[in-house]
Amino acid sequence: MSAPDKARKPMIGRRAPLIDGIEKVTGKAQYTADFIHQDASVGRIFRSPYAHAEIIHVDVSKARALPGVIAVITGDDCDKPFGIIPIAQNEFPLSRDKVRYCGEPVAAIAAIDEATAEKALKLIDFKVNELPGYFTADDARAEDAVLLHENKPGNLEREVHSEFGDVEAGFEAADIIREETYDCAEVTHVHMEPHASLADYDVERDRVTLHSVTQVPFYVHKRVAQCMDMDESRVRVIKPFIGGGFGARTEALNFEIIACLLARAAGGKVRMKLSREETFLTHRGRPRTRVKMKIGMTNEGKMTACDCVVEQTGGAFAGYGIVTILYAGSLLNAIYDIPAVRYNGFRVYTNTPACGAMRGHGTVDVRHAFESVTDIMAEELGIDPFALRRSNLLKAPIRTINDLEVTSYGLPECLDWVEKASDWKKRSGKMPAGKGLGMACSHYVSGAAKPVHWTGEPHAVVNLKLDFDGGITILTGAADIGQGSSTILAQVVGEVLKVDFDRLTVIANDSRITPKDNGSYSSRVTFMVGNAALEAAETLKVILIKAAARKLEVKPEDVECLGESYRITSQQGSDIPFKDVVIEALTESGTITVKGTFTVPKKFQGGKYHGAGVGPSMAYSYSTLAAQVDVDDVTGRVTVEKIWVAHDVGFALNPLSVEGQVQGGVWMGVGQAISEETNYHEGLPITSNMLDYRVPTIVESPDIEVKIIESIDPNGPFGAKEASEGCLSGIIPAIANAVYNATGVRLFETPLTPERIIDGQIKLQRLIKKQAAAGAS
Amino acid sequence: MEFMPDFNVLHPATIDEAVNLFGQNPDARYVAGGTDLVVNIRRGIEAPQTLIDLSRVTDIKQIEDDGAGGTVIGAGVTLSTLIDHQGLTENYGAVAQAAATVAAATHRHVATLGGNLCLDTRCVFYNQSEWWRSANDYCLKSRGDVCHVAPSGDHCFAAFSGDLAPALLVFDAEVTINGPEGSRTVPLNDIYADDGAAHLLLEKGEILTTIHLPAAKGVRSGYDKVRVRDSLDFPLAGVAIAMKIGAQGIDRIKVALTGLNSRPLVLAGTDALTGQNVDEKALDTLSDLLPKQIQPMTSTMTPPGYRRKVATNLIRKVALSLSDR
Repeated sequence: MSAPDKARKPMIGRRAPLIDGIEKVTGKAQYTADFIHQDASVGRIFRSPYAHAEIIHVDVSKARALPGVIAVITGDDCDKPFGIIPIAQNEFPLSRDKVRYCGEPVAAIAAIDEATAEKALKLIDFKVNELPGYFTADDARAEDAVLLHENKPGNLEREVHSEFGDVEAGFEAADIIREETYDCAEVTHVHMEPHASLADYDVERDRVTLHSVTQVPFYVHKRVAQCMDMDESRVRVIKPFIGGGFGARTEALNFEIIACLLARAAGGKVRMKLSREETFLTHRGRPRTRVKMKIGMTNEGKMTACDCVVEQTGGAFAGYGIVTILYAGSLLNAIYDIPAVRYNGFRVYTNTPACGAMRGHGTVDVRHAFESVTDIMAEELGIDPFALRRSNLLKAPIRTINDLEVTSYGLPECLDWVEKASDWKKRSGKMPAGKGLGMACSHYVSGAAKPVHWTGEPHAVVNLKLDFDGGITILTGAADIGQGSSTILAQVVGEVLKVDFDRLTVIANDSRITPKDNGSYSSRVTFMVGNAALEAAETLKVILIKAAARKLEVKPEDVECLGESYRITSQQGSDIPFKDVVIEALTESGTITVKGTFTVPKKFQGGKYHGAGVGPSMAYSYSTLAAQVDVDDVTGRVTVEKIWVAHDVGFALNPLSVEGQVQGGVWMGVGQAISEETNYHEGLPITSNMLDYRVPTIVESPDIEVKIIESIDPNGPFGAKEASEGCLSGIIPAIANAVYNATGVRLFETPLTPERIIDGQIKLQRLIKKQAAAGAS
Repeated sequence: MEFMPDFNVLHPATIDEAVNLFGQNPDARYVAGGTDLVVNIRRGIEAPQTLIDLSRVTDIKQIEDDGAGGTVIGAGVTLSTLIDHQGLTENYGAVAQAAATVAAATHRHVATLGGNLCLDTRCVFYNQSEWWRSANDYCLKSRGDVCHVAPSGDHCFAAFSGDLAPALLVFDAEVTINGPEGSRTVPLNDIYADDGAAHLLLEKGEILTTIHLPAAKGVRSGYDKVRVRDSLDFPLAGVAIAMKIGAQGIDRIKVALTGLNSRPLVLAGTDALTGQNVDEKALDTLSDLLPKQIQPMTSTMTPPGYRRKVATNLIRKVALSLSDR
């Protein structure tokens, strides 16, 4: 790998503003919904009011007959199921035979305007046989429960049973064993931009162009072609600016496919702008998760074994479910040295909107449970929580018991910084009434080593184009969804070629122009696409050095690249400007296009057991977090006053953007910790708006002090790895532990809402009274 | 985005003109800041053909002395104006404090005092989209037969959620109402009924135009509310207290609550505190009055038991903050 070149003012390691920041803050950036085409008809979705029912009929004749209605489609218009995991595709764009959740798309209308579409929706006659609805995992798993999907007995999408090391022996070696069960609420992403698509069907050529809000244009491309029964070459997917994703958009979503089907039926262009409520209904959030966590430790606080049972209330379709339930188990490892880990996972189908990937995919609730039980045990053992974690550190490089490769490990430095910055030693245990301190650690992958569609092709491809004008265009399929990936790629290329930043333009992403990329998920882009960009830039540099050598009439190895000029190594005055080098290079080949690729070596792709494909990554990020909270004795409300987070990101290619990402990740975790929770009324999502789904606002946002820890990963681009997914999960237990520290109340449900705190305090008071009475008698 | 249906907007310059326009458009709705009504229109809860916009009626945008030590506030005064008004912050602290706790700054710049007093009642089964309410067979408050909060009853339990009403009620505010039949002035307390589906006792075409706060020399007052987020949320419980303390302890005390019943509630029985000091015993007396008078139901995502409990905590907190301690 290339080490950062510290001699010159580097392009990397620099607090560079995002390259698309100006467009965003000036409002010039065009998001999908901004593409208001006068000739586009209005697309609307008719959604099921029933949670579970057999369809008798969907009569759209009256809607179709309404003047101004251009097309109406139903489940009859597409018999191809879709889904992100090739072996678990069980969702239709518009339901056929059955509906499985309230809000499921049943029919769609294209009309000349919104008022007509609205009227037409009311003319659809939907007749069903209602079936019992299951809104909790317990109900869905009941013996006599009707199956949501015929081929899934027990309404289980996936069971996982794994054991690494000798768990029984581990517990026997333990001096203390603790087991607790945590019930973590379902949460959702609430990206600022509601879902939107613009589909343009070319009747003459049988082609479709889709603008959409996706994080994964490649997967959307495949699913659109599949559901439209079209050759993939007839589909074009363009991703404009995107207002966030956080995992919600890491698979093809029903509305995107519906927009395309509708465009074909309408013979033209259809725009689909979902309401905030519909965006909530599309969901794909983090499932409600019950975690039974059992940990064994010696009296010295050394972990000896872990036994974990996870049950996820997954919603009506498979989606990413298999991956989520596998992540929950696999990442019990790769953070601490635990000799034995058993995991049993259950992914359950319920009559609620399908869950999916959400920041920290699969790992968050399990990490909450682990770090919470650890806190309980630290107290019982009388060991400081920082010290306890130091007793259980890994020694990188290491291959874990479940075949994960840990190559860089900055957790010790994270612990040190947070302990010091929070003044833990002085303040812990000595906080004023109502205030508390808590801490926790967490980690995450830097890109899934096995992609969802495993074909054997490279994990990432980047093209660079250099033409007569001297501009370098970076062509990537990686979707910048606000996380700043385009900026990072430009910095990587700029660092290698040492050119002025202004020479670089990133085009991302249009399937007609940019190379295929798996998309923005599992924190893969900086690591994988960054490495591909690095390779592409190095290839281009070789070409330019050769051209410069010809021009300078020396051997290539005697040429020194200064970026904006080239010269004979160390020979002042021999400089020729970049532009001349480019002209020389073009003389030989014309426009230069080079390619860089990145492939995860086999060694990092995990073990050979069933389910081994989820969890392996080439690098893991590490975080330590401490939270200071205040719990109001009048309202029970938790105010997070301050957060310290140290995040081992390998190397910060752009510290400014890393800090922003880390603050965003931590902040998102704060919402899950204290107030966010989806809820249902007889299967009807009742919190599908921003008043009842309580995302913290800026008023509830604490000061978040970020420390970047650089462990320089041997395989990351310039040593970089993941930033900001890993720190999310740690903040939830850190806050819960701080709340305990402030109040003496341990809560086993999240979020830690005011009513749960007040209930907890009442119960605690009763317990204290009871114990006092028992002591007196 | 939610569908916004078409409607006509009329822009009267005076109250008389507004009332006349209503006479010509009997299905119209008055709109001031629109922060409540527009959301309901987008959700299909209301579908007025005509909106009569009161934002150009300058007569109702003043805050004036009544000449007898009291204050007259126009219903069109925005909440952000109330927060900063010196006369109010000095003499009617609870009013300015209540205004400051409504929603977010952007709302407060357009939302008006009259609008807040006439706020529709709220319920999680009601403040939902047309699709949602239809899927849930609507509700007693609108187009349905069942109250999902209390399915066996025939009463709507949507909660009154305005913050300004309790703060004005503790000062015995009066309101002037203009309508087709002329104008009338009544105690603010008389315009509310404890029925979530019909909590506002205004006749068709009537506009609440001014609010009169009688002189309140030497009265200390405060307002506080419980909510999950300080920047947005409606009150889960809100408490206003006005108190005059003399040499013999409490001279006069008035308490009003919001967010708990279908109307803002003036707490009965507070006279028992006259002559007492604001001590633990007085606080107990005060909070003991609550359980029989408040009736929070499952009309919010936060359970009623919690709202009961924190209403008690809050009333003690506000009372204590007004004592000399």
